Amino acid sequence: MRGNDFSKIPTHAEDFCHVLHQTYREKKMLKKFALTLAMLICVSTTAMAQKTIVFAVDATWPPMEFLNSDKEIVGYSIDYMTAAAKAAGFTPVFKNVAWDGIFAGLATGKYDAVCSSVSITEKRKKTMDFSTPYFKVRQALIVPRDSNVKSLADLKGQKVGGQIGTTGYFAIKGADGVVAKSYDEVGLAMEDLKVGRIAAVVCDDPVAANYAMDQYKDTLKIATTIETGEVEFYGIAVKKGNKEVLDLVNKGIEAVSKTPYVQELQQKWIGQ
Amino acid sequence: MSKKNVVIEVGDGAAIPDPEDKGLFTAWRISFFGTIAIICYLIIAKPDPYLDIIKFLPDGIMVTFKVTFASIGLALVLGLIAGLGRISKNRFFNLAASTYIEVVRGIPLLVQLFYIYFALGNLIRVPDMVAAIIAMGFCYGAYMGEVFRAGINSIDDGQTEASLSLGFNRSQTMRYVILPQAWRTILPPVGNEFIALLKDTSLVSILAVSDILRRGREFASESFLYFETYTMIALIYLMITLVLSKLLSNMENRLSHYERR
Amino acid sequence: MNAVNPIITIRNVNKFFGNFQALDDVSLSVDPGEKVVVLGPSGSGKSTLLRTINQLEKISSGSIVVDGQEISDPKNDINRIREEVGMVFQSFNLFRHKTVLENLTLAPIKLKKEPEKEAEKRAMALLDKVGMVDKAGSYPVQLSGGQQQRVAIARALAMTPKIMLFDEPTSALDPEMIGEVLEVMVTLAREGMTMVVVTHEMGFAREVGDKVVFMDEGKIVEIAPPDQFFDHPENERTRTFLEQIL
Repeated sequence: MRGNDFSKIPTHAEDFCHVLHQTYREKKMLKKFALTLAMLICVSTTAMAQKTIVFAVDATWPPMEFLNSDKEIVGYSIDYMTAAAKAAGFTPVFKNVAWDGIFAGLATGKYDAVCSSVSITEKRKKTMDFSTPYFKVRQALIVPRDSNVKSLADLKGQKVGGQIGTTGYFAIKGADGVVAKSYDEVGLAMEDLKVGRIAAVVCDDPVAANYAMDQYKDTLKIATTIETGEVEFYGIAVKKGNKEVLDLVNKGIEAVSKTPYVQELQQKWIGQ
Repeated sequence: MSKKNVVIEVGDGAAIPDPEDKGLFTAWRISFFGTIAIICYLIIAKPDPYLDIIKFLPDGIMVTFKVTFASIGLALVLGLIAGLGRISKNRFFNLAASTYIEVVRGIPLLVQLFYIYFALGNLIRVPDMVAAIIAMGFCYGAYMGEVFRAGINSIDDGQTEASLSLGFNRSQTMRYVILPQAWRTILPPVGNEFIALLKDTSLVSILAVSDILRRGREFASESFLYFETYTMIALIYLMITLVLSKLLSNMENRLSHYERR
Repeated sequence: MNAVNPIITIRNVNKFFGNFQALDDVSLSVDPGEKVVVLGPSGSGKSTLLRTINQLEKISSGSIVVDGQEISDPKNDINRIREEVGMVFQSFNLFRHKTVLENLTLAPIKLKKEPEKEAEKRAMALLDKVGMVDKAGSYPVQLSGGQQQRVAIARALAMTPKIMLFDEPTSALDPEMIGEVLEVMVTLAREGMTMVVVTHEMGFAREVGDKVVFMDEGKIVEIAPPDQFFDHPENERTRTFLEQIL
């Protein structure tokens, strides 16, 4: 807290007009001062108890992070981070930011962290720091609702679709006796699955959840998740060297990851 | 008033070699043997990755051929119906054919492919390739319809009158007199559409039909050899269209026997 | 009046092309075996009249009875009536994609279901008649105009019609070829074929015609036997026409 400055308060009146003007100015200053004071008090009290961490979120990625019908940011990541904040003792603020430029904003300090299903990659690690992974991306096998298929092995001789160049597609190609069919968009594969042109689709489980629990909840379901050789994790990105925030976030994630709350979240948002 | 010299120019296929061109260096020969030479060079000089790419593609080539031939068959049937409809005096038939052509020509091919592919999927259960063929055939049928109409119109009215005066009815006249002659006028533009269709089948790769292009993209997405893969794909398409254009040129030549003095 | 019924009876026929009246209350009858020559300036409606007889032009009003059948009656099959009425065109209109022989056999084989061998035999006989046997295997494009027209006559005859219509059969020919075609037509006339001929060949009209019909502006102006028509025309317009022609 900075020192008070009352020196500018007039002690004697000059001409009326001046006084009026002066009073106005002083009033304005006073107001400003009061506001600053209030804020400072506010910040310092929370700082004493809790630090606020502002997370940038691209809320277009259901079910991980998206806007609900009340325009609130919700999703798996949001619930997870809220729980982590409680455990580590900080106040999370979620700010909706477009994906395009989300990392530039992190670098210039517009927010403290990015919580937006960011895959941890070696390339990204060069420009930003990552928290402990909070989500392991698995491949989900989606089948028609009435199907008895339990695994890829049950689909010998049948067509299974995946998005071209993705882990899911490579998993299908690696499966013995399954006919792999590649699509430009995973949505096209879902559509073909719905109309029966293929027997199943393999894709990232959050994506799968989005389709099987939302758009196609009456026709499709997730049969199982598949472990693949290449594992992908989501982490919280922070500005390179921002150890204070990183430590807090890591503390929270580590605490939450040991609790059954993770399974709860999985159930709530991804449905397994 | 003979209309025998009418030439229908539709230019989106490939250049059909002129059978009269007897020179040693024709554009066709340069392209064709050049293509073969480059393919051979790449395979021998750099078997890794070019040989691998070539090995990856054959079933895609088969799919491209299947889609092309089935689609052109469907397009010819639809085109003939639409073309006859366009010149028909039956108001309903005429209007139906004109509307079909109007609608199809007003929508980009890719959009129609998507639309028919997925709309059809929701109505009837057909395999992906069949859906793609129906979509391609439906679109090209409209273009064929215009070609047929122009071809039929290019035949002198006197042929129809002579046929009618002998006692043939309208459909017999069409079958025995007009179409066999129109075919000759129609063949070059139909051949052109055929080659254009073969090239446009690459669009069905978007619909996840495993044609040459999709096979290539699958290879590239795994190996990250985009440049090499697309080089090979381009060369293969070029070789196929060149062979087809030559075949069409020969066929055209044979069909025109009765025009030679 | 006549001992035999006319094979063609045209009664009060009108034909409009839009607002233009091509035929104006035309009546004419043709007896079996009769040779009728239709003359008139161009645009007089003579070709239109000929083309109404086998309904290549539909009449706007009136009646045309061919061989006992009203041709504008939808109950009558116009295609069967046309089999009875052969037609020869100014521009020959041979089927360009068929050989000479095939031009003659196509209709008998497809329409009369004649066995191919028999149709070909008859076709060769007809080609012999028009002097075209050696061109049986040629395509129309390989023939001269006169040759094409002789083949066209043979093609029409291949359907063994009762009536032959000729629409200016020599107008498109080089002068040296007119003779060979007229020769065939004269032979045909001698054999007793019923013929309606639109032509500018006055010699043919005089030599072959049983009666001459003169048309002008869509109307029949005068009908007379050739001798009377050419030597003592009654109508003023006929006289003017003949003065210009002869």
